[in-house]
Amino acid sequence: MIKNYIKTAWRNLWKNKVFSALNIIGLAVGMAACIVIMLFVFYEKSFDNFQTKNVYRLNEVQTFPGMAAQKVGLSMPPMGPTLKHEFPQVKNFSRVRWRNKYTLTHNDNKLYLPQVLAVDSTFLQMFDFALINGDRKSALEKPNSILLTESTANKIFGTTDVVGKTIGHYGDVKQDSLNFVITGILKDVPKNSQIQFDALYSMSSSYKPTDLLGWGGNWMDTYVELNAGTDVKAFERKMPAYLVKYSNRPDINKFYQLFFLPLRDIHANTSDIGLDYINFRKFDGHSTNLFAIIALIVLTIACINFMNLSTARSAERAKEVGVRKSIGAGRFELAVQFLGETVMLALIAMVLGLLLVWLSLHYINQLADRELSLNFFTNPGQALAIIGFTIFVGVISGIYPAIYLSSFKPVKVLKGSIETGKNKGTFRNILVVGQFTSAVFLMIATIFVVKQLHFMQSQDPGFTREQIVTVPLDGNTDSKYDLIKQQLKANALISDVTASQDVLGSHLDQTGVTFRPSNGPARDFGLTQLVVDNNYLKLFNIKLIEGKDFSPERGASGKEYIVNEQLAHELLKDQPKNAKLSSLIGQHFGHDSLGVITGISKNFNFNSLHYKVETMFMIYQRDWGFSQLSVKINGNKADDAVAFIKSVWTKNFPDRPFEYQFLDDHFNDVYKADNQVSKIVGILAGLAIFISCLGLFGLASYSAEQRVKEIGVRKVLGASVQNIVLMLSGNFVKLVLIANLLAWPLAWYAMHKWLETFAYRIDIKLSVFVLTAVLSLFIALITISFRSIKAAIANPVKSLRSE
Amino acid sequence: MLSLKNISKYYKAGNLKTSILNNINLDVDAGEFVSIMGPSGSGKSTLLNIIGMLDEPTDGYHYFLNQPIHQLKEKQRQALYKENIGFVFQAYHLIDELTVYENIETPLLYHNIKSDERKALVADMLDRFQIVGKKDLFPSQLSGGQQQLVGIARALIVSPKLLLADEPTGNLNSKQGDEIMELFKKLNKEEGMTIIQVTHSEKNAEYGSRIINLLDGTVESSKNV
Repeated sequence: MIKNYIKTAWRNLWKNKVFSALNIIGLAVGMAACIVIMLFVFYEKSFDNFQTKNVYRLNEVQTFPGMAAQKVGLSMPPMGPTLKHEFPQVKNFSRVRWRNKYTLTHNDNKLYLPQVLAVDSTFLQMFDFALINGDRKSALEKPNSILLTESTANKIFGTTDVVGKTIGHYGDVKQDSLNFVITGILKDVPKNSQIQFDALYSMSSSYKPTDLLGWGGNWMDTYVELNAGTDVKAFERKMPAYLVKYSNRPDINKFYQLFFLPLRDIHANTSDIGLDYINFRKFDGHSTNLFAIIALIVLTIACINFMNLSTARSAERAKEVGVRKSIGAGRFELAVQFLGETVMLALIAMVLGLLLVWLSLHYINQLADRELSLNFFTNPGQALAIIGFTIFVGVISGIYPAIYLSSFKPVKVLKGSIETGKNKGTFRNILVVGQFTSAVFLMIATIFVVKQLHFMQSQDPGFTREQIVTVPLDGNTDSKYDLIKQQLKANALISDVTASQDVLGSHLDQTGVTFRPSNGPARDFGLTQLVVDNNYLKLFNIKLIEGKDFSPERGASGKEYIVNEQLAHELLKDQPKNAKLSSLIGQHFGHDSLGVITGISKNFNFNSLHYKVETMFMIYQRDWGFSQLSVKINGNKADDAVAFIKSVWTKNFPDRPFEYQFLDDHFNDVYKADNQVSKIVGILAGLAIFISCLGLFGLASYSAEQRVKEIGVRKVLGASVQNIVLMLSGNFVKLVLIANLLAWPLAWYAMHKWLETFAYRIDIKLSVFVLTAVLSLFIALITISFRSIKAAIANPVKSLRSE
Repeated sequence: MLSLKNISKYYKAGNLKTSILNNINLDVDAGEFVSIMGPSGSGKSTLLNIIGMLDEPTDGYHYFLNQPIHQLKEKQRQALYKENIGFVFQAYHLIDELTVYENIETPLLYHNIKSDERKALVADMLDRFQIVGKKDLFPSQLSGGQQQLVGIARALIVSPKLLLADEPTGNLNSKQGDEIMELFKKLNKEEGMTIIQVTHSEKNAEYGSRIINLLDGTVESSKNV
């Protein structure tokens, strides 16, 4: 029986190659999109799922005077221990301090590590990072204990059998003498862990207990393990009293509010949290869900094609139904036969779809910065899921045609009076409208997303991004900053060199400062600060609106402050009504009584354009150390300039790898998540339109074929080719227009919501909607006219002879 | 074998009632070879379809093998049909995607007959109609007469008690038509197969044992040959 079905199905496929190809390709593309997105979604959901303990990260809402409230992933060093001390529900805590760019030494072997963490001794008891060698409990207890990951150990020793050996550290100037004893070897950290590291060392190695007592500085991540069943909301309500009790600052709740996030939620639910440095590949879960929804829409569109083309072709299958019924087939048997056919088609589509996935996965992984893979052998669950999914898709898209086809009455269909009547047509039309509504919606969304991203990237941020090479500095390399600056500036390829403590394009550090106006009481502020070299504004072309730039003399270091316009207005709030901005120049401001405001800069977007310009100030301070070197290069010899910077760097730091980035590339990174979202949405939109057009093409061909006799008769009666093409296209054009009208309000609403997440955004213009309508009509018309024209120019004699 | 009592069939289109069959009474005994004749639109095919349970009458009583068909549920009716009736069509109605062999085999699949037995039965049938050489051809590769032979083979393979034929020679030339009629006659005489055929042709009608003339949905005459 099954053999008979398969034969019929296969020969039918073959006989209708075009329809079959349309069906299969559409479905294959839809399935491929769905599989890729599902791989992505599962990858995202897998973040930190190897962690088994009830661990939460401590976060703060900071409300500093003069600044908007912000959520941060940071906390203060004493919070961990005091929380454990105060609350029985806190089972354990571990603090983590990230130490980027760390160099370990062994004999003459130097190994530069991008990620090293200083952690409390409890770290490995709270987190389930796999240990190859060593003891979870005691490995981090003693000062100067270090654990290496497998690949770190292999890189520096060539073996992992190194527990008990010593290893040196070559990093911050202050801690040059540190020697570690290796107390354990860890498996490499899985890529789906928010916490990433190449090595872990005990907190006590670099911090004395007294270093960790200060309330006020937020420079760590704190994780707590809560007893199972702890009511976290109730626990959070106890935080204000706790803060006052331990910090000894009765007003602390005005500035800080604490909240806890479960470890597994952090990856996808922290888009509104800044300064969470330990959050590898943080990606907003809303975007993930959005992808999943769009992928399902694309698949639905493909399934609709399937139904439409199958029912449209029902007349051809009708005879077979009649014959089979007249030789004893029951309705159920026929339904099973047709369902089997769609499942078979779905399986073929799946094979093709998997091929597409396999071909595109490399590109997708680059785009999404993930390691998605199809791996049926190591992951039989995946294979089963995909087969199950295919059968499901086959059944879903086949069930309607199966029920419809198997319902034919043999007497009627064998007489040839098959009703492919108006009703069925209406149902198909509704489906086509649904398809195109989704496609048009995605098209509009894509255009707005692309426009917004382009707007952000082309918007003048108030400073220069072009031809600036940035190089990260640390405690060690910073010590030679002045020398490097001098050496670099000696070359004509370099036009200027400056440095700062932060990189533009992200949240900057904040600090407490005091404004002491001559004519009023002092006011305390918590403000964004940018520590810079004295030529910073010049190099970045940041405009001053009042006062003057930093003095070139070294002696001015630490005494001069330049505030931005936003802050200047904030400072003027307590001043007499008509006080001018210039009245602020010379007023005392800053960390101590020595500082004065020397200038007011125009606002510039030091953060991404998701955020409005915040109040901020810059200080020329040479003694606090810089973390980024910025080199403005001359003209168009970028490669030569970079080579030169590298040679200077290598001469001064032979052991340090030369890392650099063009500032505009850095800004591409800042908008990376946005770009990823826009590209993925764009690709999916393209696929949706493509698949919809396949369907439209199929229906148009079918309708042309079905009306071949009518066309013949009309032509004999004198209809022109145009008349015929118009007649054949008119209905579809109407459907696409209706789809546009339906998609517009949906798209308007969705885009309105999305754009709200940007502080600087484009307007929603009607022209985009009109453009999309024109474009979709154009695409649809091209698709249809292929077939309509062919049908219209056919010789009527041929079509009329067939009876 | 079958008995129709007061069978009527009409369609309603708006207020207009179109009558196809009007108060038909007909009994057919096992072993008869009945030819139904009449002009176009006289209701021949409808009558045949009702006898073959492919269509339902609007009114009347229909007994087949002593079962009241008009009272049976769709499922029971279908089972009865499947076991006992073979249908041959004017346009042959073979499945285009299946070969001769597979076309003949298909009814056996719906009768849940095992593979070995199927092979034997189909081989017999191919032999009997001398179309062994054509078994791997598709319908489009056969002449009309050959296609109709396959259609008849397909109808007979499940050994029905009643063979219904709707203008079986309508699409054939006279030589092919005669061959089919001879075949029917032989089936009726030698195997006692009950046959009801609808035909336009006097000549073909006379192969049967009884001729029923329909006019405007009523039996105008019934005579034994």
